Amino acid sequence: MIVLVLLGYSILGIYEFVPLYKQKLWRDFWVNAGLALLSITIAILQCFDLKIPSPSKPTMDLINMLFGE
Amino acid sequence: MYKEQITDKEAFCLIALFIMGSTLILGAGGEAKNDSWLAAIVGLIFAIPMLFIYSRLLFLFPEKDLFDILNIIFGNFFGKIISILYIWYAFHLGALVLRNFGEFMNTVTMPETPMLVSLFCMGMICVIAVNLGIEVISRFSAYVFPILIFILVFIDLLGITNIHFSNIKPFLGNGITPVLKGGFLSFSFPFAESVLFLGVFFSLKTKKSPLKIYLSGVIFAGVICISLTARNILVLGEFREKLYFPSYAAVSRINIGDFLQRMEGSVALVLLLGVFIKTSICLFVACKGISKLFNLNHYSSITIQVGLLMIYFSRTVFDSTMEMQNWAFKVYRYYAFPFQVIIPIFIWIFAEVKIALGKNKSKGAASK
Repeated sequence: MIVLVLLGYSILGIYEFVPLYKQKLWRDFWVNAGLALLSITIAILQCFDLKIPSPSKPTMDLINMLFGE
Repeated sequence: MYKEQITDKEAFCLIALFIMGSTLILGAGGEAKNDSWLAAIVGLIFAIPMLFIYSRLLFLFPEKDLFDILNIIFGNFFGKIISILYIWYAFHLGALVLRNFGEFMNTVTMPETPMLVSLFCMGMICVIAVNLGIEVISRFSAYVFPILIFILVFIDLLGITNIHFSNIKPFLGNGITPVLKGGFLSFSFPFAESVLFLGVFFSLKTKKSPLKIYLSGVIFAGVICISLTARNILVLGEFREKLYFPSYAAVSRINIGDFLQRMEGSVALVLLLGVFIKTSICLFVACKGISKLFNLNHYSSITIQVGLLMIYFSRTVFDSTMEMQNWAFKVYRYYAFPFQVIIPIFIWIFAEVKIALGKNKSKGAASK
Protein backbone atom coordinates (compact mmCIF):
# COMPACT_ATOMS: atom_id res chain seq x y z
CA MET A 1 0.00 0.00 0.00
CA ILE A 2 2.76 2.41 0.97
CA VAL A 3 4.48 1.80 -2.38
CA LEU A 4 1.25 2.75 -4.15
CA VAL A 5 0.95 5.93 -2.08
CA LEU A 6 4.55 6.96 -2.79
CA LEU A 7 4.14 6.18 -6.48
CA GLY A 8 0.90 8.18 -6.62
CA TYR A 9 2.46 11.17 -4.90
CA SER A 10 5.52 11.03 -7.19
CA ILE A 11 3.28 11.20 -10.27
CA LEU A 12 1.27 13.97 -8.63
CA GLY A 13 4.52 15.82 -7.89
CA ILE A 14 5.50 15.80 -11.54
CA TYR A 15 2.00 16.78 -12.65
CA GLU A 16 1.58 19.59 -10.11
CA PHE A 17 4.94 21.01 -9.14
CA VAL A 18 6.85 21.05 -12.42
CA PRO A 19 4.45 23.52 -14.14
CA LEU A 20 4.41 25.77 -11.05
CA TYR A 21 8.23 25.69 -10.94
CA LYS A 22 8.53 26.46 -14.66
CA GLN A 23 6.09 29.37 -14.40
CA LYS A 24 8.01 30.63 -11.35
CA LEU A 25 4.82 30.82 -9.28
CA TRP A 26 6.76 30.53 -6.03
CA ARG A 27 3.92 31.35 -3.65
CA ASP A 28 1.67 28.73 -5.25
CA PHE A 29 4.58 26.31 -5.30
CA TRP A 30 5.39 26.61 -1.58
CA VAL A 31 1.79 26.61 -0.36
CA ASN A 32 1.11 23.55 -2.48
CA ALA A 33 4.31 21.93 -1.17
CA GLY A 34 3.15 22.53 2.43
CA LEU A 35 -0.26 21.01 1.71
CA ALA A 36 1.36 18.09 -0.12
CA LEU A 37 3.64 17.42 2.85
CA LEU A 38 0.64 17.36 5.20
CA SER A 39 -1.35 15.18 2.83
CA ILE A 40 1.44 12.63 2.25
CA THR A 41 2.05 12.41 6.01
CA ILE A 42 -1.62 11.63 6.66
CA ALA A 43 -1.67 9.15 3.75
CA ILE A 44 1.36 7.29 5.14
CA LEU A 45 -0.12 7.28 8.67
CA GLN A 46 -3.32 5.81 7.27
CA CYS A 47 -1.32 3.16 5.42
CA PHE A 48 0.01 1.96 8.78
CA ASP A 49 -3.54 2.03 10.21
CA LEU A 50 -2.53 4.65 12.74
CA LYS A 51 -5.44 6.54 14.23
CA ILE A 52 -5.48 10.21 13.32
CA PRO A 53 -7.20 12.34 15.97
CA SER A 54 -10.55 13.71 14.82
CA PRO A 55 -11.92 17.06 16.05
CA SER A 56 -15.45 15.58 16.18
CA LYS A 57 -15.08 13.95 19.60
CA PRO A 58 -13.80 17.07 21.44
CA THR A 59 -16.44 19.21 19.66
CA MET A 60 -19.16 16.74 20.70
CA ASP A 61 -17.92 16.77 24.30
CA LEU A 62 -17.79 20.57 24.36
CA ILE A 63 -21.31 20.91 22.98
CA ASN A 64 -22.59 18.26 25.40
CA MET A 65 -21.00 20.20 28.22
CA LEU A 66 -22.44 23.55 27.08
CA PHE A 67 -25.92 22.54 25.92
CA GLY A 68 -26.42 19.14 27.53
CA GLU A 69 -27.34 17.43 24.23
CA MET B 1 -7.21 36.51 -16.13
CA TYR B 2 -10.40 34.81 -17.41
CA LYS B 3 -13.36 35.74 -15.26
CA GLU B 4 -15.81 32.95 -14.51
CA GLN B 5 -19.48 33.80 -14.85
CA ILE B 6 -22.64 31.86 -14.09
CA THR B 7 -26.16 32.64 -15.24
CA ASP B 8 -29.13 33.04 -12.88
CA LYS B 9 -30.62 29.74 -14.02
CA GLU B 10 -27.38 27.87 -13.37
CA ALA B 11 -27.04 29.54 -9.97
CA PHE B 12 -30.60 28.52 -9.07
CA CYS B 13 -29.90 24.89 -9.99
CA LEU B 14 -26.60 24.99 -8.13
CA ILE B 15 -28.07 26.26 -4.85
CA ALA B 16 -31.09 23.94 -5.07
CA LEU B 17 -28.89 20.88 -5.62
CA PHE B 18 -26.52 22.01 -2.88
CA ILE B 19 -29.39 22.28 -0.38
CA MET B 20 -30.88 18.94 -1.43
CA GLY B 21 -27.42 17.29 -1.34
CA SER B 22 -27.20 14.86 1.54
CA THR B 23 -30.58 15.88 3.02
CA LEU B 24 -32.34 13.74 0.44
CA ILE B 25 -30.83 10.65 1.98
CA LEU B 26 -30.45 11.58 5.66
CA GLY B 27 -33.78 13.40 5.87
CA ALA B 28 -34.69 16.60 7.69
CA GLY B 29 -36.33 17.41 11.00
CA GLY B 30 -34.54 14.80 13.16
CA GLU B 31 -36.01 14.49 16.61
CA ALA B 32 -39.48 15.86 15.76
CA LYS B 33 -40.48 12.26 14.87
CA ASN B 34 -43.72 12.22 12.85
CA ASP B 35 -43.80 16.03 12.94
CA SER B 36 -40.47 16.20 11.08
CA TRP B 37 -42.15 17.61 7.99
CA LEU B 38 -43.43 20.48 10.16
CA ALA B 39 -39.95 20.95 11.62
CA ALA B 40 -38.56 21.21 8.07
CA ILE B 41 -41.10 23.96 7.30
CA VAL B 42 -40.12 25.78 10.52
CA GLY B 43 -36.43 25.44 9.54
CA LEU B 44 -37.12 26.94 6.13
CA ILE B 45 -38.98 29.88 7.69
CA PHE B 46 -36.10 30.43 10.18
CA ALA B 47 -33.63 30.48 7.28
CA ILE B 48 -35.35 33.17 5.21
CA PRO B 49 -34.09 36.19 7.26
CA MET B 50 -30.54 34.83 6.96
CA LEU B 51 -30.94 34.58 3.19
CA PHE B 52 -31.77 38.31 3.17
CA ILE B 53 -28.53 38.99 5.07
CA TYR B 54 -26.40 36.83 2.77
CA SER B 55 -27.83 38.42 -0.37
CA ARG B 56 -27.54 41.92 1.13
CA LEU B 57 -23.81 41.29 1.59
CA LEU B 58 -23.51 40.20 -2.02
CA PHE B 59 -25.46 43.29 -3.10
CA LEU B 60 -23.24 45.65 -1.07
CA PHE B 61 -20.05 44.14 -2.50
CA PRO B 62 -20.72 43.18 -6.11
CA GLU B 63 -18.15 40.89 -7.74
CA LYS B 64 -16.49 40.27 -4.35
CA ASP B 65 -16.44 36.89 -2.69
CA LEU B 66 -16.73 36.16 1.04
CA PHE B 67 -12.97 36.41 1.60
CA ASP B 68 -12.67 39.75 -0.22
CA ILE B 69 -15.62 41.08 1.80
CA LEU B 70 -13.96 39.97 5.05
CA ASN B 71 -10.71 41.69 4.06
CA ILE B 72 -12.52 44.91 3.11
CA ILE B 73 -14.57 45.06 6.30
CA PHE B 74 -12.24 43.74 8.97
CA GLY B 75 -8.88 44.61 7.46
CA ASN B 76 -6.02 42.34 6.63
CA PHE B 77 -5.42 40.74 10.03
CA PHE B 78 -8.92 40.14 11.46
CA GLY B 79 -10.27 39.50 7.97
CA LYS B 80 -7.77 36.69 7.54
CA ILE B 81 -8.60 35.17 10.93
CA ILE B 82 -12.32 35.01 10.03
CA SER B 83 -11.35 33.73 6.57
CA ILE B 84 -9.53 30.82 8.25
CA LEU B 85 -12.73 29.99 10.16
CA TYR B 86 -14.74 29.87 6.95
CA ILE B 87 -12.07 27.86 5.14
CA TRP B 88 -12.28 25.34 7.98
CA TYR B 89 -16.09 25.31 7.84
CA ALA B 90 -16.14 24.72 4.07
CA PHE B 91 -13.47 22.02 4.36
CA HIS B 92 -15.18 20.29 7.28
CA LEU B 93 -18.63 20.43 5.68
CA GLY B 94 -17.21 18.96 2.46
CA ALA B 95 -15.63 16.12 4.44
CA LEU B 96 -18.89 15.47 6.33
CA VAL B 97 -20.92 15.30 3.11
CA LEU B 98 -18.33 12.98 1.59
CA ARG B 99 -18.52 10.81 4.69
CA ASN B 100 -22.34 10.64 4.43
CA PHE B 101 -21.86 9.33 0.92
CA GLY B 102 -19.17 6.86 2.06
CA GLU B 103 -21.39 5.55 4.87
CA PHE B 104 -24.30 5.14 2.46
CA MET B 105 -22.16 3.18 0.01
CA ASN B 106 -20.62 1.09 2.77
CA THR B 107 -23.88 0.33 4.58
CA VAL B 108 -26.35 -0.06 1.75
CA THR B 109 -25.00 -0.47 -1.75
CA MET B 110 -21.43 -1.84 -1.57
CA PRO B 111 -20.84 -3.26 1.92
CA GLU B 112 -17.79 -5.30 0.96
CA THR B 113 -15.91 -2.47 -0.74
CA PRO B 114 -13.66 -0.45 1.59
CA MET B 115 -15.10 2.99 2.28
CA LEU B 116 -11.89 4.68 1.14
CA VAL B 117 -12.58 3.51 -2.43
CA SER B 118 -15.95 5.27 -2.66
CA LEU B 119 -14.60 8.33 -0.85
CA PHE B 120 -11.60 8.49 -3.16
CA CYS B 121 -13.63 8.08 -6.37
CA MET B 122 -16.16 10.73 -5.40
CA GLY B 123 -13.49 13.06 -3.98
CA MET B 124 -11.38 12.89 -7.13
CA ILE B 125 -14.40 13.68 -9.35
CA CYS B 126 -15.03 16.75 -7.19
CA VAL B 127 -11.34 17.74 -7.50
CA ILE B 128 -11.56 17.50 -11.29
CA ALA B 129 -14.79 19.55 -11.29
CA VAL B 130 -13.31 22.27 -9.09
CA ASN B 131 -10.17 22.33 -11.22
CA LEU B 132 -12.35 22.97 -14.26
CA GLY B 133 -14.03 25.85 -12.47
CA ILE B 134 -17.34 27.02 -11.07
CA GLU B 135 -18.74 27.55 -14.58
CA VAL B 136 -18.42 23.84 -15.34
CA ILE B 137 -19.95 22.79 -12.01
CA SER B 138 -22.91 25.15 -12.47
CA ARG B 139 -23.47 24.13 -16.08
CA PHE B 140 -23.43 20.49 -15.02
CA SER B 141 -25.96 21.24 -12.29
CA ALA B 142 -28.22 22.97 -14.83
CA TYR B 143 -28.09 19.81 -17.01
CA VAL B 144 -28.80 17.28 -14.28
CA PHE B 145 -31.33 19.35 -12.32
CA PRO B 146 -34.39 18.53 -14.49
CA ILE B 147 -33.43 14.83 -14.58
CA LEU B 148 -33.12 14.75 -10.82
CA ILE B 149 -36.43 16.51 -10.26
CA PHE B 150 -38.12 14.14 -12.72
CA ILE B 151 -36.75 11.12 -10.81
CA LEU B 152 -37.87 12.54 -7.46
CA VAL B 153 -41.40 13.34 -8.66
CA PHE B 154 -41.74 10.02 -10.51
CA ILE B 155 -40.61 8.01 -7.49
CA ASP B 156 -42.91 10.04 -5.21
CA LEU B 157 -45.85 9.25 -7.48
CA LEU B 158 -44.99 5.55 -7.54
CA GLY B 159 -44.79 5.58 -3.74
CA ILE B 160 -48.39 6.78 -3.35
CA THR B 161 -49.62 3.18 -3.05
CA ASN B 162 -47.53 2.67 0.12
CA ILE B 163 -48.74 5.78 1.91
CA HIS B 164 -50.62 5.40 5.21
CA PHE B 165 -52.04 8.67 6.44
CA SER B 166 -52.39 7.29 9.95
CA ASN B 167 -48.56 7.45 10.21
CA ILE B 168 -48.63 11.23 10.42
CA LYS B 169 -50.83 11.18 13.53
CA PRO B 170 -50.80 12.36 16.28
CA PHE B 171 -50.22 15.85 14.95
CA LEU B 172 -48.00 17.73 17.46
CA GLY B 173 -48.34 14.72 19.76
CA ASN B 174 -45.15 15.60 21.67
CA GLY B 175 -45.87 19.33 21.83
CA ILE B 176 -44.21 22.19 20.01
CA THR B 177 -40.72 21.87 21.59
CA PRO B 178 -39.47 18.91 19.49
CA VAL B 179 -40.79 20.69 16.37
CA LEU B 180 -38.85 23.86 17.22
CA LYS B 181 -35.73 21.81 18.02
CA GLY B 182 -36.16 19.94 14.74
CA GLY B 183 -36.72 23.29 13.03
CA PHE B 184 -33.39 24.51 14.39
CA LEU B 185 -31.78 21.35 13.03
CA SER B 186 -33.38 21.82 9.60
CA PHE B 187 -32.30 25.45 9.65
CA SER B 188 -28.64 24.54 10.16
CA PHE B 189 -28.73 21.39 8.02
CA PRO B 190 -29.31 22.17 5.17
CA PHE B 191 -30.89 25.62 4.68
CA ALA B 192 -28.36 27.93 6.35
CA GLU B 193 -25.45 26.00 4.83
CA SER B 194 -26.14 28.26 1.85
CA VAL B 195 -23.86 30.76 3.64
CA LEU B 196 -21.08 29.14 1.59
CA PHE B 197 -22.59 30.65 -1.55
CA LEU B 198 -21.13 33.97 -0.39
CA GLY B 199 -17.95 32.44 -1.77
CA VAL B 200 -19.57 31.44 -5.08
CA PHE B 201 -22.06 34.11 -6.15
CA PHE B 202 -19.37 36.73 -6.89
CA SER B 203 -19.42 35.15 -10.34
CA LEU B 204 -23.10 35.88 -11.05
CA LYS B 205 -23.64 37.39 -14.47
CA THR B 206 -26.48 39.64 -13.29
CA LYS B 207 -25.39 41.56 -10.23
CA LYS B 208 -28.92 42.58 -9.16
CA SER B 209 -30.27 39.13 -8.54
CA PRO B 210 -28.59 37.40 -5.54
CA LEU B 211 -31.71 37.72 -3.35
CA LYS B 212 -33.98 36.34 -6.07
CA ILE B 213 -31.67 33.37 -6.64
CA TYR B 214 -31.10 32.73 -2.95
CA LEU B 215 -34.82 32.80 -2.13
CA SER B 216 -36.06 30.84 -5.14
CA GLY B 217 -33.30 28.19 -4.90
CA VAL B 218 -33.58 27.59 -1.16
CA ILE B 219 -37.40 27.63 -1.12
CA PHE B 220 -37.59 25.23 -4.08
CA ALA B 221 -35.10 22.84 -2.45
CA GLY B 222 -36.97 23.29 0.85
CA VAL B 223 -40.27 22.24 -0.72
CA ILE B 224 -38.59 19.13 -2.17
CA CYS B 225 -36.98 18.26 1.19
CA ILE B 226 -40.28 18.80 3.04
CA SER B 227 -42.21 16.63 0.57
CA LEU B 228 -39.63 13.84 0.81
CA THR B 229 -39.62 13.99 4.61
CA ALA B 230 -43.44 13.80 4.57
CA ARG B 231 -43.30 10.86 2.14
CA ASN B 232 -40.83 9.01 4.37
CA ILE B 233 -43.09 9.53 7.39
CA LEU B 234 -46.22 8.48 5.49
CA VAL B 235 -44.57 5.35 4.11
CA LEU B 236 -42.43 4.22 7.04
CA GLY B 237 -44.18 5.64 10.11
CA GLU B 238 -42.34 5.15 13.41
CA PHE B 239 -39.95 2.70 11.75
CA ARG B 240 -38.32 5.73 10.06
CA GLU B 241 -36.54 6.82 13.25
CA LYS B 242 -34.65 3.53 13.43
CA LEU B 243 -33.14 3.92 9.97
CA TYR B 244 -29.96 5.71 8.97
CA PHE B 245 -31.15 6.27 5.39
CA PRO B 246 -34.98 6.47 5.46
CA SER B 247 -35.42 7.56 1.82
CA TYR B 248 -33.73 4.38 0.62
CA ALA B 249 -35.99 2.20 2.76
CA ALA B 250 -39.13 4.11 1.72
CA VAL B 251 -38.38 3.76 -1.99
CA SER B 252 -37.37 0.10 -1.67
CA ARG B 253 -41.00 -0.66 -0.68
CA ILE B 254 -42.31 0.38 -4.08
CA ASN B 255 -43.71 -2.65 -5.87
CA ILE B 256 -46.29 -2.06 -8.56
CA GLY B 257 -47.76 -5.19 -10.10
CA ASP B 258 -44.53 -7.14 -9.41
CA PHE B 259 -43.12 -5.24 -12.36
CA LEU B 260 -41.97 -1.82 -11.11
CA GLN B 261 -39.74 -2.70 -8.16
CA ARG B 262 -36.16 -2.29 -6.89
CA MET B 263 -36.42 1.44 -7.52
CA GLU B 264 -33.96 2.28 -4.72
CA GLY B 265 -31.16 2.65 -7.27
CA SER B 266 -32.74 5.99 -8.13
CA VAL B 267 -32.15 7.17 -4.53
CA ALA B 268 -28.48 6.29 -4.89
CA LEU B 269 -28.31 8.25 -8.17
CA VAL B 270 -29.96 11.29 -6.61
CA LEU B 271 -27.60 11.13 -3.64
CA LEU B 272 -24.61 10.76 -5.94
CA LEU B 273 -25.47 13.92 -7.88
CA GLY B 274 -26.38 15.90 -4.76
CA VAL B 275 -23.20 14.91 -2.94
CA PHE B 276 -21.08 15.69 -5.99
CA ILE B 277 -22.45 19.25 -6.22
CA LYS B 278 -22.29 19.89 -2.48
CA THR B 279 -18.76 18.57 -2.01
CA SER B 280 -17.55 20.43 -5.10
CA ILE B 281 -18.95 23.71 -3.78
CA CYS B 282 -17.35 23.13 -0.37
CA LEU B 283 -14.01 22.27 -1.97
CA PHE B 284 -14.26 25.27 -4.28
CA VAL B 285 -14.89 27.68 -1.38
CA ALA B 286 -12.11 26.13 0.72
CA CYS B 287 -9.60 26.40 -2.17
CA LYS B 288 -10.72 29.93 -3.02
CA GLY B 289 -10.29 30.91 0.64
CA ILE B 290 -6.79 29.39 0.89
CA SER B 291 -5.75 31.08 -2.36
CA LYS B 292 -6.98 34.46 -1.03
CA LEU B 293 -5.33 33.84 2.33
CA PHE B 294 -1.90 33.31 0.75
CA ASN B 295 -2.42 35.62 -2.26
CA LEU B 296 -1.99 32.77 -4.71
CA ASN B 297 -2.10 33.17 -8.47
CA HIS B 298 -5.05 30.79 -8.92
CA TYR B 299 -7.00 28.47 -6.63
CA SER B 300 -6.68 25.52 -9.02
CA SER B 301 -3.00 25.03 -8.10
CA ILE B 302 -4.00 23.70 -4.64
CA THR B 303 -7.24 21.86 -5.51
CA ILE B 304 -5.72 18.37 -5.67
CA GLN B 305 -3.98 18.59 -2.30
CA VAL B 306 -6.98 20.16 -0.54
CA GLY B 307 -9.21 17.52 -2.14
CA LEU B 308 -6.93 14.72 -0.95
CA LEU B 309 -6.87 16.18 2.56
CA MET B 310 -10.68 16.35 2.47
CA ILE B 311 -10.86 12.67 1.49
CA TYR B 312 -8.47 11.60 4.29
CA PHE B 313 -10.29 13.77 6.78
CA SER B 314 -13.68 12.36 5.80
CA ARG B 315 -12.30 8.88 6.45
CA THR B 316 -11.04 9.65 9.94
CA VAL B 317 -13.69 12.12 11.10
CA PHE B 318 -16.06 9.49 12.56
CA ASP B 319 -15.54 5.98 13.89
CA SER B 320 -19.00 4.65 13.00
CA THR B 321 -22.32 5.40 11.28
CA MET B 322 -23.88 5.92 14.71
CA GLU B 323 -21.34 8.62 15.54
CA MET B 324 -22.04 10.30 12.21
CA GLN B 325 -25.79 10.25 12.87
CA ASN B 326 -25.26 11.61 16.37
CA TRP B 327 -23.09 14.43 15.02
CA ALA B 328 -25.53 15.30 12.21
CA PHE B 329 -28.65 15.36 14.37
CA LYS B 330 -27.40 16.45 17.80
CA VAL B 331 -24.14 18.36 17.53
CA TYR B 332 -23.98 19.95 14.09
CA ARG B 333 -26.63 22.66 14.67
CA TYR B 334 -24.69 24.15 17.60
CA TYR B 335 -21.34 23.77 15.85
CA ALA B 336 -22.57 25.46 12.66
CA PHE B 337 -24.53 28.28 14.34
CA PRO B 338 -21.60 30.76 14.58
CA PHE B 339 -20.67 30.23 10.90
CA GLN B 340 -24.25 30.46 9.67
CA VAL B 341 -25.73 33.14 11.92
CA ILE B 342 -23.43 34.97 14.34
CA ILE B 343 -20.49 35.83 12.05
CA PRO B 344 -22.69 36.76 9.01
CA ILE B 345 -24.76 39.12 11.21
CA PHE B 346 -21.55 40.77 12.45
CA ILE B 347 -20.23 41.04 8.89
CA TRP B 348 -23.52 42.59 7.75
CA ILE B 349 -23.64 45.16 10.59
CA PHE B 350 -20.01 46.16 10.03
CA ALA B 351 -20.59 46.35 6.25
CA GLU B 352 -23.61 48.64 6.63
CA VAL B 353 -21.71 50.90 9.06
CA LYS B 354 -18.65 51.01 6.84
CA ILE B 355 -20.66 51.86 3.74
CA ALA B 356 -22.71 54.52 5.59
CA LEU B 357 -19.49 56.10 6.91
CA GLY B 358 -17.98 55.99 3.41
CA LYS B 359 -21.05 57.73 1.97
CA ASN B 360 -20.94 60.44 4.69
CA LYS B 361 -17.25 61.02 4.01
CA SER B 362 -17.77 61.36 0.25
CA LYS B 363 -20.75 63.73 0.86
CA GLY B 364 -18.59 65.84 3.18
CA ALA B 365 -15.78 65.96 0.62
CA ALA B 366 -18.23 66.97 -2.14
CA SER B 367 -19.76 69.79 -0.05
CA LYS B 368 -16.28 71.20 0.74
